[in-house]
Amino acid sequence: MVNAASINRRLVLDLVERIGGLSQGATVAVPLDGSDADLALVTAWCQRSGNDLVEVVDSVATVRRGGRPDPYAHLEPDQIPGTRLWMYTNFDCNLACDYCCVRSSPQARRRALGVDRVRRLASEAVDAGVSELILTGGEPFLLPDLDGLVAACTTVLPTTLLTNAMLLRGRRLEMLHRMDRDRLVLQISLDSPTPHLHDRHRGARSWERAVAGIRTAQAEGFRVRVAATLEPARFSELEPFRAFLDDLGIARDDQVIRALAHRGVSHTGLELTVESLIPEITITADGVYWHPVSADDDDQLVTRELFPLRAAIEEVKRRFIAHRARADAAARWFPCA
Amino acid sequence: MTTPLIIGSVAYTPNVVTIWEGIREYFGEGPTEMDFVLFSNYGRQVDALLAGQIDIAWNTNLAWVRTVAQTNGQCRALAQRDTDTVFQTIFVARTGSALGGLEGLKGRRLALGSQDSAQAAILPVHYLRQAGLAEGDVEMLRINSDVGKHGDTGRSELDALRAVIDDKADAAALGINTWEAIGRDELMPGAFEVFWESPTYSHCNFTALPTLSEARVAPWVEKLLAMDFGNPAHRPILEMEGLRQWVLPQLEGYVSLFDAVKEQGISPRW
Repeated sequence: MVNAASINRRLVLDLVERIGGLSQGATVAVPLDGSDADLALVTAWCQRSGNDLVEVVDSVATVRRGGRPDPYAHLEPDQIPGTRLWMYTNFDCNLACDYCCVRSSPQARRRALGVDRVRRLASEAVDAGVSELILTGGEPFLLPDLDGLVAACTTVLPTTLLTNAMLLRGRRLEMLHRMDRDRLVLQISLDSPTPHLHDRHRGARSWERAVAGIRTAQAEGFRVRVAATLEPARFSELEPFRAFLDDLGIARDDQVIRALAHRGVSHTGLELTVESLIPEITITADGVYWHPVSADDDDQLVTRELFPLRAAIEEVKRRFIAHRARADAAARWFPCA
Repeated sequence: MTTPLIIGSVAYTPNVVTIWEGIREYFGEGPTEMDFVLFSNYGRQVDALLAGQIDIAWNTNLAWVRTVAQTNGQCRALAQRDTDTVFQTIFVARTGSALGGLEGLKGRRLALGSQDSAQAAILPVHYLRQAGLAEGDVEMLRINSDVGKHGDTGRSELDALRAVIDDKADAAALGINTWEAIGRDELMPGAFEVFWESPTYSHCNFTALPTLSEARVAPWVEKLLAMDFGNPAHRPILEMEGLRQWVLPQLEGYVSLFDAVKEQGISPRW
């Protein structure tokens, strides 16, 4: 209820008339007088009438006709924020790829999450409705306790482990051997069907060792997914690569080909911002990030507080919904055709 | 495959396109397909119905009364919204005016909506006469800001309320839908108060001529009545059109408007 003495009697009449002239989903900018009473009145009217108060900036209310659209309507089920949880187990790596989005290398500090935090995150992830865990680095197989860390995840949820697969021998192969084949998918990086391009970015003989690692993982009975990072110009020449992966026994659904991102040490690639990325909540030792591609960049840091995980997930969802609402409104303000 | 039934509707808001595309999609599931044609006003729409250019017209109550007059009562009402069967005219004044009822308007100024608005002009005058107020007893401020739409936009009704705020009128007559849209007297306490509510009457209906066969009408009406507010695919359309359920028409709800049109000498054509 709005205070009777200070009420702007014209405001609601103007809202009804201006919203009535809109199509569903369209927005209108309505000037307010800057008072709390005006804001309370437009808020109450929107709630009562089923219209959406998008935002109030500089005493101008943006109101959308009809209820707020489902921000997840155009997403695949596994793209809905909070469905998948990424964890950077560590940042150090045996390779120094020239496009690494998080600046991993042999010189990078480890910044490990550690098995205790991973176990707690996995447990809280279940309670928060997460349905898949994804472990990445750095190179996770550099960690001496990786098998315990993976077990903490696979005991509660299906898990994917990203690796360059170049270290799968000796003690590390024994760790792999102890991992749960029914609950763990290995996602191995491979950028080309021949050594040249892959080695150019990732180091000499790395292609040969990655392919050997893929075969080792398959021989150990693991489902293997191959992920390639390509410069945008190379997307027109995918078929030889896909044929090579087919021959390796990688199912088409497990052939993940993504564009190079202009992040980390990469000098080129797609510009990816919070506004343009569907969030995939990512945990590192330093905090919660919007997306794994930006897990070393403060511009996509959500919070330094890892716990409770549910709060971080809710914050990411809240920001995503707000971004979508603003983008929808802006799209209607600036139609290009 | 049968020829789709062509439904006419007046484009009083851009949302009409969304509504009718949704209804057309629903009917596209079969067995009776339909398409729609939009008109800028009810006069054009009724002319198109009489000329056989459309099969069914989504008419306001005044458009129904005029179609009845022009067809010597041969046209048929097929269905309407549940909300059409309980429509009302609301008389409001500034809070504290203490008008007490229609009689309190004697010597006062009443803002009316567009002249062809049944709820905000024609029926209010009828109610005044029924209350014993003769022409000249009440000063009428007519606001014809959406003639042709029969008050569908509600713009003239909002203008009537603005006239009350600006002290250009002591009271305003408006449809219950506009009263609901501004939040009744609950969102703006101290702004307006209701001093008289009309009995319920019927508002819009789907109107067809007798030349449209029962074989084509019956499955269309049956499919229309089957739209389900509980069905997520149907609900957005029903909400936008302002109903929960399509129902068969209640023709007795038009008696007051027939009487009003007759006593005020309103022509059967535009």
